[in-house]
Amino acid sequence: MESTFLSLAHGFSVALAPANAWYAFLGCLVGTLVGVLPGIGPLAGISILLPVTFGLNATQAIIMLAGIYYGSQYGGSTTSILMRIPGEASSVMTCIDGYAMAKKGRAGAALCIAAVGSWVGGTFGVLVLTAVAPPLATIAVSFGPPEYTALLVLGLIFLAYMSSSSLIRTLLMACLGLLLGMIGIDNMTGHFRYSFDLAELGDGIGIVPVAVGLFGLGEILSTPSASAVRDIVSPRLRELLPTRREWNEAAMPITRGTVLGFIIGIIPGSAHVISSFLSYAIEKRVSKHPEQFGKGAVAGVAGPETANNAASTGAFVPLLALGIPTSPITAVLIGALMIHGVSVGPMLVNEHPDVFWGFVASMYVGNLMLLVLNLPLVSLFVTVLRIPYAYLYPLIIMFCIIGVYEVNNSIVDVWIMLIMGVVGYALRKFDCDPAPLVLGLVIAPILEQSLRQSLIMSNGNYLIFFSRPISLGLMMVSIGLLALAAYAFVLHRADWRTRLARAEAGEPER
Amino acid sequence: MTLRADHIAGAFFIGFGLLVLALSGDLPTGNLSMPGSGFLPKIAAVLTIFFGGVLVLRAGESKPFETLSWTDVKHAGLVVGITAAAVALFERLGFLTTNVLLILTLLVVIERRRLPPAVAYSVGVVVITYVLFVYILKTPLQAGPLGF
Repeated sequence: MESTFLSLAHGFSVALAPANAWYAFLGCLVGTLVGVLPGIGPLAGISILLPVTFGLNATQAIIMLAGIYYGSQYGGSTTSILMRIPGEASSVMTCIDGYAMAKKGRAGAALCIAAVGSWVGGTFGVLVLTAVAPPLATIAVSFGPPEYTALLVLGLIFLAYMSSSSLIRTLLMACLGLLLGMIGIDNMTGHFRYSFDLAELGDGIGIVPVAVGLFGLGEILSTPSASAVRDIVSPRLRELLPTRREWNEAAMPITRGTVLGFIIGIIPGSAHVISSFLSYAIEKRVSKHPEQFGKGAVAGVAGPETANNAASTGAFVPLLALGIPTSPITAVLIGALMIHGVSVGPMLVNEHPDVFWGFVASMYVGNLMLLVLNLPLVSLFVTVLRIPYAYLYPLIIMFCIIGVYEVNNSIVDVWIMLIMGVVGYALRKFDCDPAPLVLGLVIAPILEQSLRQSLIMSNGNYLIFFSRPISLGLMMVSIGLLALAAYAFVLHRADWRTRLARAEAGEPER
Repeated sequence: MTLRADHIAGAFFIGFGLLVLALSGDLPTGNLSMPGSGFLPKIAAVLTIFFGGVLVLRAGESKPFETLSWTDVKHAGLVVGITAAAVALFERLGFLTTNVLLILTLLVVIERRRLPPAVAYSVGVVVITYVLFVYILKTPLQAGPLGF
């Protein structure tokens, strides 16, 4: 424990260096803007801005990109509360009571509670991350190919089980991602796969063109400017402070949201989206006045906003300790570190202590910056929201092109981005969530290598996954989850996914 | 029988899986003790076909295909067409010229904005972005025939 504190102190010396603190601030500011602007989520924001970090060292790059990630969770609440438009997916639940509070003249209080809840959730997440990630990394060092295979299979099944769309659609998207991830040279045999004699495809399809296409361009194609109507409630600065009664009503939801969000964040899937939904459902269930939900209940803002920020931080635990992405966003962050020559995984804490501890410490600093930044600058963000969408989306398309082209100076990547934009548009039409596709793309090479190595090690005996204690445990959890999912699927029971879809559509709970 | 969204989506995924299997013909599958480069792609393709089939079988739960809204398809098609033209010109004309033309065309052709403010906006944001990347962030951008 003492060594953890010493390492954290070293991390603070890295994070508080003027240049690093500046990039944390920049990341938080840009992230808040990304969260505020509808049509550009954290994934597209991080991917598009990846080239901006090329001139920075690895520590500065990850500090800035992570700032964009958790900053966007803060920013997403602004549009939800002031416009009833979720700036990004995890803010859907905040729309319901946040906007109702705004309509009652309590927009400032809602924003303040969302910001404080986000800060508490984020900071708690970093505290647990500090304590948990290094020992977990020590255990992960002993993982062999069978353990990694079992872990990745569990990740995919967890993703399908926890995904907000249907189980079959999620698995389909993950399979598509796996297939895309297998394009290029096979590392074990040197065979070219599905590269159609294009040299650029030899290295495979990068995550950035796919992510920017699906989430950046795809969103723009699905949003004609005529439909982007803005009805903004402007808060007055003196109304920002909640009353004592509002603070009391927010205290327990913030506490529950913090713990719930962090635990869900560790699990693969769209954790920040799921955590906000579950938090809302729990708050409504435990409330003495459930009839107030939908009409401006403080707990309906405090719980979900806290939970989604705690989940964002929780997602860094498997990333930093195991090198395994649990969401497309953390997958892009892994890609960003690899561009800077840093391999993410259990050895990160020993091989790059500056990056690991500097990053962890920067999250404490970043969360504080966001709290200070969000409330006074809310009128600035409201001004940004007034920019007509017709002028905004051409700018986003330009950044999509730069962001993708600059990674490899490859125009083929830009064409892939364009194709993925069309694919993303079509997937939305058919209610398919593209996030599992991106995750499948990222884990495909790791999964394939560890699976084949495991089978070679055991001379083709697949029981190897059930003969080692860690992989056995992971496989049993996978089988249990599949059984649970199959039970709901066969009996056509309305599980939490159906309820989430109803809530997003604004339908009453049955 | 009503044609539903999942009939179309499932059929597409089945077709896609079959296409991948057809393209994987020359990739060695190997065996369990020495899996080849076609081992996992073929498993993933078969799973895609399987899940696509399940989607078709359970299509009754999805929306009728005719109720899907396609009102945004013209906007999407125009944006894709104009962006594709910009991508085709990007390496020849460079960052500055291509992006000024891209933004200007999107504003004038799709959004029906007046020419003078559209020109001012497109030139302004592209030049600011160029300065930001090239001079402040020291990240070179694609140069055109005139060297910028």
